[in-house]
Amino acid sequence: MRHIQFIRSNTFLWALAVAATLALFVAGLFAFVYQKLDNYLIARSDRMITTQINFMSDLPHGRRVRAVADHLQQDSRHVHYVGLFSAAGTRLAGNIDRVPSGLALDGTVQGARLNPLEAAAGRGPIVRIVGRRLDDGDVLVVARNVDETREISSVVGQALALGVLPAFCLCVLAGAWLSARAQKRVEVVNQRVQRIVAGELRERLPEGNADDPFARLARIVNSMLDEMETMINALSGVGNDIAHDLRTPLTRARLALERGRTHAVTLEQLQEVTDKAIAGIDQSLAIVTALLRLAEIENSSRTAGFGNVVLDEILHEVCDVYEPIAEDKGVALGVVIDRSVQVWGDRDLLFEAIANLADNAVKFAPPGGQVELELKLDDGRALVRVSDTGPGINEQEREAVLRRFYRSDKIRNTPGVGLGLSLVAAIIKLHGFRLIIGPAPGGRIEIVADAAREGKTRCIPISDLRSRKREVDRTIRGRLDVGTCRMSETEFRCVTSSLVAGATASLLGSVNRLGMWEQ
Amino acid sequence: MTRILLIEDDTETAEAIVAELAERSFEVHWAPNGVEGLDRARTSHPDAMIVDRMLPGMDGLTVIEALRNDQIKTPVLVLSALGAVDDRVRGLRMGGDDYLTKPFAIVELIARIEALLRRPMDSRETILLAGPLELDLIERTARRGEREIDLLPREFRLLEYMMRRSDQLLTRAMLLEEVWNYKFVPATTNLIDVHMGRLRHKVDAPGEVQLIHNVRGSGFILRARE
Repeated sequence: MRHIQFIRSNTFLWALAVAATLALFVAGLFAFVYQKLDNYLIARSDRMITTQINFMSDLPHGRRVRAVADHLQQDSRHVHYVGLFSAAGTRLAGNIDRVPSGLALDGTVQGARLNPLEAAAGRGPIVRIVGRRLDDGDVLVVARNVDETREISSVVGQALALGVLPAFCLCVLAGAWLSARAQKRVEVVNQRVQRIVAGELRERLPEGNADDPFARLARIVNSMLDEMETMINALSGVGNDIAHDLRTPLTRARLALERGRTHAVTLEQLQEVTDKAIAGIDQSLAIVTALLRLAEIENSSRTAGFGNVVLDEILHEVCDVYEPIAEDKGVALGVVIDRSVQVWGDRDLLFEAIANLADNAVKFAPPGGQVELELKLDDGRALVRVSDTGPGINEQEREAVLRRFYRSDKIRNTPGVGLGLSLVAAIIKLHGFRLIIGPAPGGRIEIVADAAREGKTRCIPISDLRSRKREVDRTIRGRLDVGTCRMSETEFRCVTSSLVAGATASLLGSVNRLGMWEQ
Repeated sequence: MTRILLIEDDTETAEAIVAELAERSFEVHWAPNGVEGLDRARTSHPDAMIVDRMLPGMDGLTVIEALRNDQIKTPVLVLSALGAVDDRVRGLRMGGDDYLTKPFAIVELIARIEALLRRPMDSRETILLAGPLELDLIERTARRGEREIDLLPREFRLLEYMMRRSDQLLTRAMLLEEVWNYKFVPATTNLIDVHMGRLRHKVDAPGEVQLIHNVRGSGFILRARE
């Protein structure tokens, strides 16, 4: 609950930050408008009073007074000021009391505060003012009120302020609303996840119809949950297989011991019984060992033991090991090597894989048949082909043979623990190679590998849920980055990654519990 | 009398091992934990040690490491329920001389202890002799008395390994690990037997005294002494 509150305040901070940015932006806009307006009005006033003073200066002395009066009369808004003064400084005409002190009488425009006649008592208006000493010694002063600039500015300012206030409120409200909405959805998701954690693997997150990041995220998590559910079900299936295969020899051992205990009368009989029991236990042990080995390879993502492996050497070695066995069975074992090929991999594991394939091939080739280990370099890729003249693997069984403990019905009575090909598949996957099972009749299995190259081979064992999770994480992150709802992105990430992590951890826990047999 | 120190925390396993070894006239001392075991090893100088990897208090590998740091080079057989290749490599790297995964057959344990106690013949030797057998490691030739034996490279390696450890029980697992360099258990269980059958056929010709013996349920022995 605490971190949900934290998120809420976080969202609010976001909203406040956006609102503050908006206010700042409006203030900046206002300053800009004010500045531009001010400059424009001053320039216009300056132009106007310069024209007027020029005009009046050019008039003959007698007409000037009239012109001043006329000019003031036409000014209904009382923004113009004119003063005509004698050389001594006495006012001859106009509405300016006296020549403002500090006014340069050379025709340059400047800003000043004016004391006109009517407003002698109060503060005069701020004006742009220009003065000039005329040829006959009189002084003419023309000014224009620029207070209206301030008025206009204040109007503009008010308008902007009126705009910014609702925008600010809207931001905060939107933040609150989004936060509340997200929180509600997180709460719903949280409840579902709690149920999943409690073991209800069929539960899914609500996806909704909208195409927002949350819905997309829910879909991603749901597809991950689908995958995991399938995996867990498959694992429990494997668990049953393992239980069956382990129990069979153990049952035999138990029966032998029980019967021996009651019926054996001589030492020889007892020893015979014990031998049987030991054989049964050894077979179960062999299965456990093979399973552990399989788990070891499947869960290994390390490529520490990787190096350049000369495949032709391995093939010769495998042939060397299996040659006498093949010969005993009357099977011709041969090696066909096109040229020397190197691949990047773990020598011991590759040897194990190829030895397993050869082992199978020799086992299934009929007496008088043939087994061939072939190495080719095909289009930059190494190709190891193990073929035999046995029954081969038919279409329906091709995938099944890679499963643990699968043993074709036709060959039920052939000894072996039925993990050979799963092991080969795991090794091949670890290397990032491909395993191709050729069509029957005649067994044919190919390993296709990229020829040696520097650097590491990519390897992500499918069963490694953690790498799966990383993938999902990456996808989620990728999706969120392009998400439109920027404001609550942080919160989405924070909540979902913790949810995904929690769910994954608990699911991994159940997988591990279910997979106890193997781990 | 050969003295062996067993460091093992499971009483039942320990008792079985002690009884079996005593029956084969070894003098066995048993320490139930790492600290006590290390003490015993330092003070009583055993000829060989059997050390369980997982021990209460101080684990087996730490015990071995401490001994090796003290320059005590007593051969050690590590017992462990951890059978992955990595675990094995680690056990050997930490100073163990051999590694046996639980559960194991008693004969396997005894064979390995005997192998540790009787270190193989000097490896600088270029001609190996065992009874009537003579193996020239440089010329890569093998003879039995006057008779030349024609061997394939793998058979040669197998015979060399057996001659270096003549009159010693060699289990299938030992042969797989040492001669075939296998790091896994092959699906075909009689792999070793087939190869051994070939070799025996060449070494023991009809009418000659049998040198390579099959010990039922355990392994093989090359008997060089009459």
